[in-house]
Amino acid sequence: MSHVAFRERGEDLRLEADYVVVGSGAGGAAAAVTLARSGAEVAIIEAGAWRDPEDYPSSTYGAMRDLFDDWGTQLARGRALWPIVQARTVGGTTVINSAICVRTPGDIFAQWQRERGIEGLAERVWAHQDTLERELRVEEVPEPARGNSNRLAMLGASRAGYDSHWIRRYVAGCEGTGQCLQGCKKTRKQSTNLNYVPEVLARGGHVVSSAPVKRVAIEGRRAIGVRGRFEHPRTKAWGADFFVRARRAVVVAASVTHSPALLERSGVRSPALGKYFRAHPGTGVFGIYDEPVDTNTGATQGWASTAFRADPGLKLETLSIPFEMVASRLSGGGARLIERLREYRHLCMWCHAVRAESVGTVRNGLFDKPVVRYGLDREDMLRFRQGMILLAKTHFAAGAKKILPGIHGMPYELGPDQVSLLEDAPLDPRAYIAILSHLFGGCVMGTDPRDAVTDARGRVHGYDGLVVADASVIPSNLGVNPQHTIMALAMAFAEDLASE
Amino acid sequence: MKATVKSFIEHAMIALYPRTDALPGIEDAGISEFLDRYREESTLLMWLGLIAGAFAFIASPILTVHWPLPSFLLPARVLDEHAHRVTSSQLYLLRQAIFLIKLAAGLCWGAHPAVRAHFAMAPYAPDPGTWRAS
Repeated sequence: MSHVAFRERGEDLRLEADYVVVGSGAGGAAAAVTLARSGAEVAIIEAGAWRDPEDYPSSTYGAMRDLFDDWGTQLARGRALWPIVQARTVGGTTVINSAICVRTPGDIFAQWQRERGIEGLAERVWAHQDTLERELRVEEVPEPARGNSNRLAMLGASRAGYDSHWIRRYVAGCEGTGQCLQGCKKTRKQSTNLNYVPEVLARGGHVVSSAPVKRVAIEGRRAIGVRGRFEHPRTKAWGADFFVRARRAVVVAASVTHSPALLERSGVRSPALGKYFRAHPGTGVFGIYDEPVDTNTGATQGWASTAFRADPGLKLETLSIPFEMVASRLSGGGARLIERLREYRHLCMWCHAVRAESVGTVRNGLFDKPVVRYGLDREDMLRFRQGMILLAKTHFAAGAKKILPGIHGMPYELGPDQVSLLEDAPLDPRAYIAILSHLFGGCVMGTDPRDAVTDARGRVHGYDGLVVADASVIPSNLGVNPQHTIMALAMAFAEDLASE
Repeated sequence: MKATVKSFIEHAMIALYPRTDALPGIEDAGISEFLDRYREESTLLMWLGLIAGAFAFIASPILTVHWPLPSFLLPARVLDEHAHRVTSSQLYLLRQAIFLIKLAAGLCWGAHPAVRAHFAMAPYAPDPGTWRAS
């Protein structure tokens, strides 16, 4: 077993393994461990550094510096500029997300079959999800860790008359420290840097960290390895070159933004490459309560509702963002901003994720940075606005005295009798502070090579030994949190690969 | 030149997160050291974004409070009004530029132990900035 961290220039690395997996997040780690369990020698190549829980930052600044990809400044370019938050560390986004576990809805497989000719995945994906739930100790947020924000949301949904639930997460014995975004120092969150990546090492594999891959090396139509150059975790200075040869295959799992860009700069030809980018855009609505909520305590995300997944196409969740982000998220500046922030202990934010039908593109840009172009059409903006109305009503049902919609051009706060104002809220995305939380597509799967990058087993059409195993293969918007689907799909693809 | 640019950024951040009777301002939160660190550790693009945000803040009083002066020449009361209004400017790109500087300033101000204590939050432990090297 070996872990190779940053190397200075001149200390070039040459390595060989049966399989080379690019990325160590949900898809990469799940694929790698499946291949390693089959007896193969696996090398994981990760762009970010390997940070153990004792290395995790405490502050939001530290999280952006040490864990986020490009400090979280990647933006989707459209009519509005909305950020895309992903991680760049061993464990990928599983280190900084809320580890929400939702089984792939059955209608998704029916849609894939209908639209893309993909068959036979449902039972296999669900079987892998059974395994994942057991191995990663999935459990519902325990009562002591729920915190006031999550409890209020449950109360509000109940009074508003719709179904909701405590979230099931890859978290064992959550202590409710509210530090999911900075990495769980308590090691309760089962991010892949704590389990599957170490297992790959223990099974004789390799991890190369701080090693962004520049190109997949392709000879003829066969992927034979990956090339790149180490990047110092702190200074970002370039280090030594590396080449990792794959005896059997290269598995690309670098994320929805990086995987299409990597294939593009590697010279992979596919008419569908970079197309069908989709996302769950979302935003939050703050409620202000008479009693302190102290939203920074309790599970970062402990409550959700999928009651509106089919119609109008929304998921509702609690989300406790760090105090520093609340400071910038509330509108205003100067003494009035400080006055508004004095209510912080009485605030909590709940958010929506829109099951948007709009599509965008991902391209490789300058300095190998992915360029995402994406905007919401009118129908999606109507859903977006409807989600805000639902959140506002839920807050008031839970007893909020005011809500803060955070919409440009609207009053700073609204009372219970002013919710109807939201029905006329602007449909211009520039009026909202939003984020793209879950991403899909860019290397979508399907049976037709004219309209899909990979087949239904993640194999890139027209190439040998080249597989994509992350959310970029997902050809539709799931309407639920995607980590469970990504991991199970990656396991299924790796299982197929190992049996070839 | 570097000191001037930094002082412009500090000016904008102090106006956005001023000292009040209730809470310390960003000038009490080690803003100068924070900006040195930010310049050293963040990307060039992010630093340029802060500079752009600061210049947008300084140049925009004519749009917000209708004073034809750079913001650092405004009387305190008018500056505070400008700091408030500029965050909700009708110009989207101006709003975004100010949002960026407000976000960065929030990372400094919101991590200050006295501010956190005011909201019943424990101070942050230091960010180790370490990683597995072998």
